[in-house]
Amino acid sequence: MTDSVPALPVLALTDARLTLAGNAGPVEILKGISLSVHKGETVGLVGPSGSGKSSLLMLMGGLERATGGKVLALGQDLTAMDEDALARFRRGNMGVVFQSFHLIPTMTALENVALPLELAGVTDAFARAEAELTAVGLGSRMHHYPSQMSGGEQQRVALARAAVPRPAILLADEPTGNLDGVNGQAIMDLLFGLRDRHGATLVLVTHAPELAARCDRVIRLADGLLAPEALAKAAE
Amino acid sequence: MSLAFTIARRELRGGLRGFRVFLACLALGVAAIAAVGTLRTGIQQGLADQGSVILGGDAEMRFTYRTADADERAYMDRIATQVSEVYDFRSMALVQDDQALTQIKAVDDAWPLTGAAQLDPPIPVIEALAVTDGLPGAIMDPVLIERLSLKPGDTFRLGTQEFRLTAALTREPDSASTGFTLGPRTVVHSDALGDSGLLASGSMYETRYRLVLPAGSDLQALEEQAELTFRDKGMRWTDSRNAAPGIEAFVDRIGSFLVLVGLAGLAVGGVGISAAIRSYLDGKVETIATLKTLGAEGGLIFRSYLWQTAILSVLGIAIGLVLGAVVPLLAAPLIEASLPFPAEIRLSPGALLESAFYGALSALIFTLLPLARTERIRPAALYRGGSGTRTWPRKRYLAALAVLSVALIGSATWLSGIPELALGAAGGVLGALLILSLAALGLRKAARRLARTRLTHGRPATRAALAAIGAPRSDATSVVLSLGLGLSVLAAVGQIDWNLRQAIATDLPTRAPAFFFVDIQPDQLDPFLAMMDANPAVTEIETAPMLRGVITQINGKPAREVAGDHWVVRGDRGITYAATPGPKTRITAGEFWPEDYTGDPQISFATEEAEEIGLQLGDTMTVNILGRDLTATITSFREVDFSNAGMGFVMTLDPAALTGAPHTMIATVYAPPEAEAQILKSVTKTWPNITAIGIREAVDRVAEALGAIATATAWAAAGTLITGFVVLIGAAAAGERARIYESAILKTLGATRGKILSSFALRSALMGAAAGVVAVIAGGISGWAVMTFVMDSTYRFEPVSAIGIVVGGILATLLAGLFFALRPLNARPAGTLRAQD
Repeated sequence: MTDSVPALPVLALTDARLTLAGNAGPVEILKGISLSVHKGETVGLVGPSGSGKSSLLMLMGGLERATGGKVLALGQDLTAMDEDALARFRRGNMGVVFQSFHLIPTMTALENVALPLELAGVTDAFARAEAELTAVGLGSRMHHYPSQMSGGEQQRVALARAAVPRPAILLADEPTGNLDGVNGQAIMDLLFGLRDRHGATLVLVTHAPELAARCDRVIRLADGLLAPEALAKAAE
Repeated sequence: MSLAFTIARRELRGGLRGFRVFLACLALGVAAIAAVGTLRTGIQQGLADQGSVILGGDAEMRFTYRTADADERAYMDRIATQVSEVYDFRSMALVQDDQALTQIKAVDDAWPLTGAAQLDPPIPVIEALAVTDGLPGAIMDPVLIERLSLKPGDTFRLGTQEFRLTAALTREPDSASTGFTLGPRTVVHSDALGDSGLLASGSMYETRYRLVLPAGSDLQALEEQAELTFRDKGMRWTDSRNAAPGIEAFVDRIGSFLVLVGLAGLAVGGVGISAAIRSYLDGKVETIATLKTLGAEGGLIFRSYLWQTAILSVLGIAIGLVLGAVVPLLAAPLIEASLPFPAEIRLSPGALLESAFYGALSALIFTLLPLARTERIRPAALYRGGSGTRTWPRKRYLAALAVLSVALIGSATWLSGIPELALGAAGGVLGALLILSLAALGLRKAARRLARTRLTHGRPATRAALAAIGAPRSDATSVVLSLGLGLSVLAAVGQIDWNLRQAIATDLPTRAPAFFFVDIQPDQLDPFLAMMDANPAVTEIETAPMLRGVITQINGKPAREVAGDHWVVRGDRGITYAATPGPKTRITAGEFWPEDYTGDPQISFATEEAEEIGLQLGDTMTVNILGRDLTATITSFREVDFSNAGMGFVMTLDPAALTGAPHTMIATVYAPPEAEAQILKSVTKTWPNITAIGIREAVDRVAEALGAIATATAWAAAGTLITGFVVLIGAAAAGERARIYESAILKTLGATRGKILSSFALRSALMGAAAGVVAVIAGGISGWAVMTFVMDSTYRFEPVSAIGIVVGGILATLLAGLFFALRPLNARPAGTLRAQD
C-alpha cells in the first residue's frame, strides 16, 4: 500500500439491504448500507438494540445473505457465493466471535480451537491450537469441556478459535456482552492484542463505550441505516 | 479417519440420552423380524430334517377311492425295502346314545414306519390295536375321547364293527402330512374293517402307501418315474423332501406375513426414529451453525450426522438382533413342544441378516430427510434463533429417499415370496401413513383455528391445549402417526373378524343345510329319503350321486399345464351325474344333454371356474375315476354357488358316462337346529356306515381357525402398538422441557396446577382421540374392502371394537402425556424462567 494508490478495502458494502420474512410480513432490517473497511482498521458498530448492528456484522461475514446491494470481502462478492463457497471462504479469511461464545459443547477446548484448522486441512492443527490456547492463558484447561469452564474462559477459547487460522478479518458480536467487568476487560485486551499481533482487520459490535473508544472508527446505526455522522465517516 | 467421522465421534460423547427412543424403536422392529425369521427357519429346518417322520416314510404313493393295483404294488415292492398301507377316511364313532365325526386311520402292522406314536397308557401300537376277547383295539385323539366320554376299556362302534378303546393317542408322528381334518383321529388296524361296512364299494377313502427306500435313493428320479407311470391312474406322490407341503406353505406364508407386520412395526418405529433425530438435530442447530461459521461445508455436516446416525443404527440393530435371536432360543423348548410338527430352533444367520438389512434401510429412510435439512441451516441461526430446518431438502436427497424406499419395498416383496401381499402391505402402510399425516395436519389446523375463536374465550386451559396442538413444533403428527398405524391394524382386524363371525353365525345357517350325509349306498337311498320325508322337521332334502376323480388332461394336454395351480386340478374332486339340470340350476352357456342321452360322454362345468381356467364349450377333459380314464366333452356351463354350503359340484356328467361306476350318494338335509340331534341319532343308528357332517360343527371348526388367525394378527398389531407407545413416550418426553416452560409461565400468570393439568390432559386426549378416530375410519375401509372384494360378503360397521379403539387411543396418550406432566406441574416457575434467560 502506498499513499498515492489507496489499497482496495478489505470490506466494501454498497447499498446492502436485508429483509427477513416475519410472522406479520417482511421486516426490513437493513435499509441500504454503504461503507468500506480498510486493512488493519478497527471499526466499532454501535447503536440501540434492534438497529441492525449484528445483522450488518453477519452480512460482512457471509453468515447472512444480503437481499439487496453488494457485499465485497477481500475483493470477493459474498452475495454471489452459495452456502458452501461462503463456508470455504470463511475458513482462512475470517474469524467470528459471538456474545454467547458458541463453543461446541461435546468438544474440548483444544478440539474447538483445532476445528477450523482441521476443516481447512491443516496438518498440525492440534499443535497450533495448543499454542493459541496457551497464548490466551488457557494452557492448563485445554482438555476441559465448555461446560467445565467459566464464561470468561469460554470466551477466551472462542477468541483463540477465531484467531488460530490467522484470518484477515476478525468479526466480534458483543464479545463482552455476557461477561462481568473484569473478564470483559481481559477479553478486550486479548482481542486488541490479537489484532495488533496478527494485523487483522477488526469489526466489532458493542454497547460498551470504552470498547468503542478503543476503535479507530465508530459507525453508528439507527433503524437499519447509518446515522448521519456515520455517513460522513463511512464515506472516508 | 475422515473429518466427518472425527466430528461425529466427538459429538456422540454427549451420550445416548437423547437416543433412547431411537434405539428402542429400531431394536424392537429388528427384534420382531429377527425372531419371526428365526422361528420360521427353525420350523423349516425341522420339517426338512424330520421329513421322513412327518410323512411316515421316505416317500408316499396316495390313491383315492381304491387300493393300489398289482402293478403299483409290484413297483413299490421293487423300489422300497419296506411298505406300509394306511387307509384314511371319515366316519362316525358311535357309542350308546352319542356319536361324533372322526377321521379314521386304518393301519397295518408296519405303522408307523418312521417315528413313534405316543400312547397313554404307554403301550406298543401293535398291542393297542390287537384283537382281545374278540374285539379289535383302537386308539383315539384325547379330544374325541373326552367328547364321547370314553375311557380305556370302553367300547364304541365304527360302522357295524365294535372296537375297544385301549389308549389315547397323544402324539401321532405322521399327523402333519394329512393336513386339515374335520374330525379328530381314531387309529384302528385295517384287518378290523373287514366287517364294518365302511369301505364298501363307492365309499370315500384314501389309501397311503408309505415306503422306506434304500439309503442313497434318488428321490427326484423315483418321483419322475412314478409320476410318468402311474399319475394318469390317479396316483399322487409325496416324499420326505417336502413331507408336509401344506404346513410348509402355511408356515412360509404366516412367516412372511409376520415379517410384513414386523416391517409395519419398523414403519411405526420409523416415525419415532425420525422424530428422535429431528429433536436431536433441533438441539444441534447452534453446533451446526457454528461449524458453518468456522468453514464447514453442508456436505461435511451432512456426512458427520450421517455417521452419527449410522453408529446409533448399528447399536440399535445389534440390540434388536440379540433380542430377536435370544428370545426364540430361550423359548425354544416351549415352542418346540407346543407345535404339532418338529421344529429345530437355532441361530439363523440368514434371518438375522434379513432383519438387520431391513433395520438399516428403514433407519436410513427415516433419518435421511431430517439429516438432509442440516445442509439448509444458516449460520445466522446463531444470533437469530430458529433453525430453518423445516424447509424442503435438496432434490438429490428426495431422489435418494425414493430409491431407498423402492429398495426396501422391493426387497420385502422379493424376500417374502408373496409379492401381492408384500406390495399390498406396503401400499397399506404407505396409504395409512398418508391418511394419518393428513389427519394430523387437519387436526393441527383445526386446533389452531379453534384456539382463535370466541369459543375458547374465558377458557385458558382449553385454548392452551388447542394452541399447543396447532403450534409449529407440536408433537401431534408424531403421536397420530405412531399410535394411529397400530390402532388402524387393530381396528381392521376387529371389523373383519366381527363381520366374518357375523356372516358365519347368522347368515350361513339360515341358508345352509344342517347336515351332509355321505357314503349312502345306492340301495339305502330310498329308505333314507323315506325317513326324512316322514320327519316333519326336515324342510328340504337334496341328493346326488357322488364319485371322486382327478382331472388329468384338458384337450389332450396334462391338466396342470393348461390350468396351472388352479384348485380344481390340484387334487381329486367330487363328481356327480344327472339326467336333468335340476330346478335350481342355471345354464349360462351351451345346452344340457337330453334326459335319455346315451351318446359320447358330456360334462357340464361350473361357469366361474371354467372362466378362471380358460375353458371353452367343446373342450375335452379326461377324468380319472377309480383308476379308469374317462374323456368327455364340455357341452354346457352352469352357475354353482359354493357360498351357502349346499350341494355344489364343479363337474356334472351325463348318467350314461358313469353307468356301472361304483359310487355312493350324498344328501344335504335342511332342518332347524333343535331337530338336528334327533335326525343324527336316527340315521346313524339305522345305517352305521353313513357319515354325517354337521354343518354347525364344521362351521365351528372354521370359526375356530379364523379366530386363531384373528388372534395372531391382533397380537402382531399389539407388537406394532408397543412400538407406537414407545414413540408416544418419546414424544411426550421430548416435549417435557417445553411443558415445564409453559407451565412456569402459566403459573406466573396465575394458573392453578389443576388448570394446567386439565390443559395437558385435554391436549393428550384430543391427539389420542384423533389417532383413534382415523384408525377406526381406516379399519372400516379395510374391513369393507376385505368383506366386499375378498369374501364376497356384505359389510356392516361394528361399533363396539371401534369405541374400544378410540378409548384405547385416548387412554394411551393420556397415560404417556400425564406421566410426563408431573415434572412440569411441580417445577417452580422462578427457577425455570431464570434458566431460560
